[in-house]
Amino acid sequence: MSGFSAWLCAIDHKRIGILYMLSALLFMLAGGMEAMVLRAQLAAPNLKLIAPETYDQIFTMHGTTMIFLVAMPVLTGFGVYLTPLMIGANEMALPRLGALSFWLQFFGGVLLYISFATGAAPDAGWFSYAPLSEKAFSPGAGLDYWALALLMIAGSSIGSAINLIVTVATERAPGMTMRLVPLFAWMTLVASIMIVFALPALAASLVMLLSDRLLHARFFDPAQGGAPLLWQHYFWIFGHPEVYIVVLPAFGMISEIIPVFSRKPIFGYPFVATSTVAIAFLSYGVWVHHMFAVALGRNVLAVFAAASMLIAVPTGMKIFSWIATMWGGAIRFTTAMLFAIAFLLEFTVGGLSGVAFATVPVDWQLTDTYFVVAHIHYVLVGGTIFALLAGVHYWFPKISGRLLDEKLGRWSFWLIVLGFNAAFFVQHFLGLLGMRRRVYTYPDIPWFGALNLISTLGAGILVFGIVLFLANVAMSVYFGTVAGKDPWNAWTLEWAAASPPLLQNFAETPEVRSRRPLWDLKHPEAPDWGST
Amino acid sequence: MTERRTLLGMAMFLIAEAVFFFLLILACKYFAAIPYLNSRSGWILTILLLASTASMWRGWRWGTIALGVIFLVGLWGTLSSVLTAVLGLFLFAGLIALAIVPVSALRTMALYWYFLTAVWLAIFLYVYRGGAA
Repeated sequence: MSGFSAWLCAIDHKRIGILYMLSALLFMLAGGMEAMVLRAQLAAPNLKLIAPETYDQIFTMHGTTMIFLVAMPVLTGFGVYLTPLMIGANEMALPRLGALSFWLQFFGGVLLYISFATGAAPDAGWFSYAPLSEKAFSPGAGLDYWALALLMIAGSSIGSAINLIVTVATERAPGMTMRLVPLFAWMTLVASIMIVFALPALAASLVMLLSDRLLHARFFDPAQGGAPLLWQHYFWIFGHPEVYIVVLPAFGMISEIIPVFSRKPIFGYPFVATSTVAIAFLSYGVWVHHMFAVALGRNVLAVFAAASMLIAVPTGMKIFSWIATMWGGAIRFTTAMLFAIAFLLEFTVGGLSGVAFATVPVDWQLTDTYFVVAHIHYVLVGGTIFALLAGVHYWFPKISGRLLDEKLGRWSFWLIVLGFNAAFFVQHFLGLLGMRRRVYTYPDIPWFGALNLISTLGAGILVFGIVLFLANVAMSVYFGTVAGKDPWNAWTLEWAAASPPLLQNFAETPEVRSRRPLWDLKHPEAPDWGST
Repeated sequence: MTERRTLLGMAMFLIAEAVFFFLLILACKYFAAIPYLNSRSGWILTILLLASTASMWRGWRWGTIALGVIFLVGLWGTLSSVLTAVLGLFLFAGLIALAIVPVSALRTMALYWYFLTAVWLAIFLYVYRGGAA
């Protein structure tokens, strides 16, 4: 087999990983265009570029696309590509499950986008609250497409998560105990366990929604014994762990990149690893902070507010570990490192606004305003996407065999940082001024027009930066400097394989005695395992 | 080694299934009108499924499949609710898998079958016999 059919039938983890990344890229272009339509419509007060109904469909598709068709699959792609390489294995534990998961994911995305062709894209927001999402209020087929597509994607995520768990559990190189597993693989493992516990809640919600819509069940219909709040509870039991599912692997990338470009081992490896487990546990006890505006009683709110603040502690520990890793290191400011440093700053902003939301009265004031929109974008773009861009710059030479252009990389970095902050920082102020999210236009109130215009211009700069980054990737695949096995002088096992790795990653099974097996190999006079 | 992988994978899948059915059963118990189930047919169905599980435990693939098919037909005939429909779909998928997997995968499939039997017991004893909440 060769060419197209070889990709179609691929079960090799590297090909599956690349397919995930390309599929995420495809849907990112769609989700990005949707974002630009939204920002164009909001550029000035009282604009009417698109109909309100269309606006609802576009923001629903933008949110659903970016979370389920971009963030999750691209992280799964990196997980599937890198995990076996990092733990010294030649393949995933269950290769055919890997292929099944990818194609379920891809066709789930395609199904979601077919809804546009029927003229009824889903329009109830990415969390589709009942009763708005019920047949009585959303009679079109859009939400059926939405629920079916997400059901496929939930199945796919559970499949790929199971595969990653079994891989880390059974395929590690001889000598690699769980205390020596690279942090990216560690955090991918924890995120995968979270998927196994969280995604079924989404699947159950979707089964109930579909039953209500198509089979005349009545889970969310209060007139017949159901409860709309049930949807909110179940959705956020999935939804809050989901935030960490898409941010933990990004933390893992940062934990690999910062040490290599600071020329120091990670500071406090046990704390970075165990704080991840703490985050995973806590994230199941905080879902009600998405529902503070619902009258649930003061004690309930107090418990969930406290839990939500508590989760900032293990997250903060990680930030300090990364800073302490850089402290006193010989830092190399490559583009990958620049994105990693920007991640530290941007994600901290998103984390701090998150703690603000954990304070119930603040949440009451700001719920459903643009402050929420700013917060989620600082977490998911400032956190996940910045870490991902660092990761792409770091691992691109491994995947393609060629280096990305550093000069273009710097240009795209500064454009993305500038555009991102211009687009989203001002939305904090818009939220504080009282601008509601999900309204398709707004009256000419002082500052609303000016701040929205800045946001739209920022979004334009951000898109320009992303396009430059994509151009860099496209050009470097063909014309980049040949990277060799280990262009960054790194320490984990993927850099011992060829770039790009051969079908069989490692000609001989590597042996591991410390957290930096390649350091040991390069410095036989002072190996890591000799010092302890 | 292969069996270790598939057993672990199946265990992970069943954890996900357990969360799924737990939430669905909870919702059905408290927020959906439960259709009436004749107690006698409920017990007959339960005995059928327990018998198929016993057959699975003995490693009699085709005995399990035969009893499973009879159970499914009976389930289809006596009950129609979201919960039983979902359980029925999983059982149906399990029957197909049981019919085609190699002998080496039977131990892994057995885990799946035991699990669905437990889910049926939970549905029957908690939702249908536990009375209205």
